[in-house]
Amino acid sequence: MKNLLNRLRGVERDVLESPPDADAPFYVAQADEIEIFRAAWTRRLPVMLKGPTGCGKTRFLEHMAHVLAKPLVTVACHEDLTSSDLVGRFLLEGEETVWQDGPLTRAVKEGAICYLDEIVEARTDTTVVIHPLTDHRRQLPLDKRARIIDAHDDFMLVISYNPGYQTVLKDLKPSTKQRFVGIHFDYPGELIEREIVARESGGLDPDRVERLVAAGRRARKLKDHGLEEATSTRALAYAGELMQAGLPPRTACRAAMIAPVTDDPELIQALEEIVAAHFPESDEETAAVHG
Amino acid sequence: MAEADDLVAIEEVLQQLERVSFVAHRDTRAALPAIREFGAVQARFWIETARDLFLHDREAGKSFLRHSARLAENSGVVEPWTGQAREFLQWVNSHYALEGFLAQVDRVWRAWGEVGEREWFAIGLRWCGRSLADARAYFETPFDRLDGGQGVSGLRSLIEPAERLFDERGLTLDCYLAGAPMARNMVGDAGLLSWARRGADLLVAGRSRGEAYFRMESEEGMRLLLEALPGYRARLHGRFLQLLLLAWLDAEIPLADGDWKPGEGRPMLETDGRRLYLPAVFDSRDEAIVAVQHGAAHLAFDSYAREHIESLFARAGMEHPPLDDHSRITWRPLFASFGEHMFRFQILFDLAEDLRVNGRLHFRIPGFLARLLQLAQRRELPKEPAGSYYRFALETYVGLREELRPLRGAGPSAEAGRAPHAPPGTLDHRLRGLLKPEATVLDAWEVAQELFADPAFPEIGIDQRKDAYLPGLSLNAARPVYPQRLRDGDLSDFRDVGDAYEEHRFVREKQEEAPEQAPEGAQKDPDADIQMPREETSGSGGRIGVGIPAPAQVAKRGVAWQPRSGGIPYPEWDYREQRMISDWVNLNERVLDEQAPGRAREILAEHAATLKRLTRGLEMQRPMRMAPLRRQMDGDELDTEAVIDFIADKRAGLSPKAFIYRRRAVRHRDTAVLVLADMSTSIMARHPGGEGKIVERVRSGLMLFAEAIDRIGDPCAISGFASKQRDQVHYYWLKDFTEPLDDAVRGRIAGISGRLASRMGAAIRHSVRAMQRVSSQHRLLLILSDGRPADYDDGGDARYLHEDTRMAMKEALDAGIHPFCITLDPSGEEYLPAIFGPGHYTIIDHVDELPRRLPEIYLRLRR
Repeated sequence: MKNLLNRLRGVERDVLESPPDADAPFYVAQADEIEIFRAAWTRRLPVMLKGPTGCGKTRFLEHMAHVLAKPLVTVACHEDLTSSDLVGRFLLEGEETVWQDGPLTRAVKEGAICYLDEIVEARTDTTVVIHPLTDHRRQLPLDKRARIIDAHDDFMLVISYNPGYQTVLKDLKPSTKQRFVGIHFDYPGELIEREIVARESGGLDPDRVERLVAAGRRARKLKDHGLEEATSTRALAYAGELMQAGLPPRTACRAAMIAPVTDDPELIQALEEIVAAHFPESDEETAAVHG
Repeated sequence: MAEADDLVAIEEVLQQLERVSFVAHRDTRAALPAIREFGAVQARFWIETARDLFLHDREAGKSFLRHSARLAENSGVVEPWTGQAREFLQWVNSHYALEGFLAQVDRVWRAWGEVGEREWFAIGLRWCGRSLADARAYFETPFDRLDGGQGVSGLRSLIEPAERLFDERGLTLDCYLAGAPMARNMVGDAGLLSWARRGADLLVAGRSRGEAYFRMESEEGMRLLLEALPGYRARLHGRFLQLLLLAWLDAEIPLADGDWKPGEGRPMLETDGRRLYLPAVFDSRDEAIVAVQHGAAHLAFDSYAREHIESLFARAGMEHPPLDDHSRITWRPLFASFGEHMFRFQILFDLAEDLRVNGRLHFRIPGFLARLLQLAQRRELPKEPAGSYYRFALETYVGLREELRPLRGAGPSAEAGRAPHAPPGTLDHRLRGLLKPEATVLDAWEVAQELFADPAFPEIGIDQRKDAYLPGLSLNAARPVYPQRLRDGDLSDFRDVGDAYEEHRFVREKQEEAPEQAPEGAQKDPDADIQMPREETSGSGGRIGVGIPAPAQVAKRGVAWQPRSGGIPYPEWDYREQRMISDWVNLNERVLDEQAPGRAREILAEHAATLKRLTRGLEMQRPMRMAPLRRQMDGDELDTEAVIDFIADKRAGLSPKAFIYRRRAVRHRDTAVLVLADMSTSIMARHPGGEGKIVERVRSGLMLFAEAIDRIGDPCAISGFASKQRDQVHYYWLKDFTEPLDDAVRGRIAGISGRLASRMGAAIRHSVRAMQRVSSQHRLLLILSDGRPADYDDGGDARYLHEDTRMAMKEALDAGIHPFCITLDPSGEEYLPAIFGPGHYTIIDHVDELPRRLPEIYLRLRR
């Protein structure tokens, strides 16, 4: 009863559901990624989205799933994710044990796009499970039930992979990598990024968008000099949203772009310096300079 | 009646002197009339003093007589200084001090009055009691150098540290006074004691080194003082400044220490086209930022582009710019044609060129001009003639800002930001051409010539030159420069192409070859900056100026102690000043030459039984075992036992929780360990209660440790350290983290021996740095020691290195590394708790136990 109520209220949603009828999630193409994805989709080839955090990989896929009108199953991988979390497991229900499909199995059965986000984070045994799905067999073996499932015609596997991100310790095996069609993402160009930030922040004024994006692009230059993750488009969008919510620009930038990414005091100083240059303290200050 | 007695007495003394010495008699007669004016009593007292001094020490008497007439005339008294001169009778050979005293007592009297003079003398007299050489130094140093402009109180505060350190460390005043007045100017009275104490420590370590410190001839003395200067310390913020350059200009421009010293006018940034040389301090953080950004802009926007510079020299009538031995351009000929107006032209040229560069930089770095203007407006207008230049530059930049404002950012707020009452732009029309993107340094030259013709700019000398520059801006031709290729704003491939080592060697060789230049032969030039190094630059055309660079000052005063450098610099904590002294310690990684493979085999054979026992214990601790976690809420498989319980409970009508899964997880003890062994001389001591030496136990301990850890498979490294003063801390790798335990490593461990002292802090800092490269979750630093940290130059102050070690320990903890000390020193209880904290050390009372205990301690710790 409670479950049903929750479902009605929309609190709980099935992993697998058909796309809502609303507009497609906002996405601006950076290059030819849409064409490549469409081509891969027509042949149902598995796809690997490569690129740094927060550059729009997940959004891209949501957008594509909507355009193609296919359900999307997203699994955020983490280091404790085991193959049974993907495939399914036996559960006790009442008097008996019941098999419960994992998200991957459901996607395979029902023909959805299954998105394994940051797959390097998962245990290595999970990557082996997906091997038979990614070649001509298109099968998912369920070891525990001693069965093999043939994938639905519309099933498609997409993984994301962040090169350079802890790759020293964790990397996909070459045997896994070479099964995918790769689409490379990077932070969008300045004009596109402005459009994105303006849109995502809910209509921040063009001047501040311009400064924000310019500051973000400067900050990105510090990657690999102590900054493990560069300032992402998402962080810029968040900063924009915070400004829209009434925070002063410098505070918003500090909260969205600096505080989350680093604890290194010198780096913080350098980033704050960049932000401050793009957002002068106030107009009074500029007036004082002339006075 | 009494007066008659006195006059008779005076005559008697005169006769007495005549018998003894012709000179004394003559001089007394010459001085007497001046003294007589003060009355017979005083004259008698004076002449008796003169006689006594003369009989005591002829030289003393002579100088007393020589100065007397002048002193009487200048001070208007006789009795006080005569009485004081009498005091010198207490000592033999005090005439040097007396001479110094007499030479300036009248000036002291006039400057400080009777009370001040009396104190000045009393201090000197105390020094006579300590040592006559020091007293001489005291009296010979002009009193106005000692007071620092604060009268007697200044004198008192200057001498106080010296008196204290004389008692504590035997520091001589003679030595102290060589640098103390200057040091006081820089660090103030408060910092004087610690400055002098450090010098006293060095003096104990080595006489010449200490003296060089006090004379400010050695780099270390100067460095310490620079660190104490107020302001924004550029070298401490080097990384921040570099990050800024990286962000704004895409450039990795190396920053280096400039050679600015206090008293040389405003600190300024300099460049040689490869690096930016930062002065030790800037007035403020903002100024440092502006300076670095502006300096990099010169590189980015082709102030030093070969093509442009060549055209510039062509204009000056030279086919090629003169190059020095390093292929650096020397600027002098460029400015030479302006003769004594050189500085005037130089400022104007720099002004034009700076404007050109800043105009372009403004588009790259928003807010750059705003910051520059803010700094410039906050600073007081310098005195004329520099003020005219400064004001002109300031007005120019205000004008520039107005000019550029509409261009910057098409956003509406940029317009709104303009203050309605701001003065209109005052950008001089002559400068306008410099704002074009295609303008080059050549245009700046032409503009400068145009401005040069304008009489509104007054003549200016070298002393005021630096004041004419806006804050953050600096002399562009301060150093010879490596010409650049054309960059047009793109610095992305900028690299420090110079081979630092080559450069260093080259300079060294040159210095050795160069004959000492006679001081009078050295070129005298009003401006050392424009043409450093000094060289032959007369004449014009062709390649000139290839003279041999010689050190600026060749006349030597003793050999200054040169600290070794070239290693890895580490800071050190000085508890007395409660601050870190940056780059104080020079650490070198060394290879241990001794290898003893034979001894290694012996050790292993001897301790075979222990090792066997250890190995059994280790089996229990093998990592990578899957540890089953039972009765979990979820998991990979069912926990049969739990399921049965669950079903049974269920059937029984209970409602049990479904903790029925079993999960296997690796409980990996991910620990890396580094053993840092103290390799100082003390480990060569004989075993206190047994056979052989301590070092043998240390070898066995390390050997067993290495074997044991190798069996567990934890990442492990072993190193040792020894030190000889602050500049030679040696760090020996016995086994690196990546190295397998093979016979070479065993041989090295068996070959260790003791040497030198133990400056532990630096070794710990280096170990911490090494451990940061290891990715293990837990990192353990085991320090194997046999005594207190100590070094030759700690001045016998045990607490100094204690506190430094404690600080290094804290830094290790901050870096996520757990330090633990194992000591063989039975008295460790006294100091280890203070350094390592309770529970972070253990004392091994019986040295024989070390081989067995060392691996055990590690296994206990890693649990």
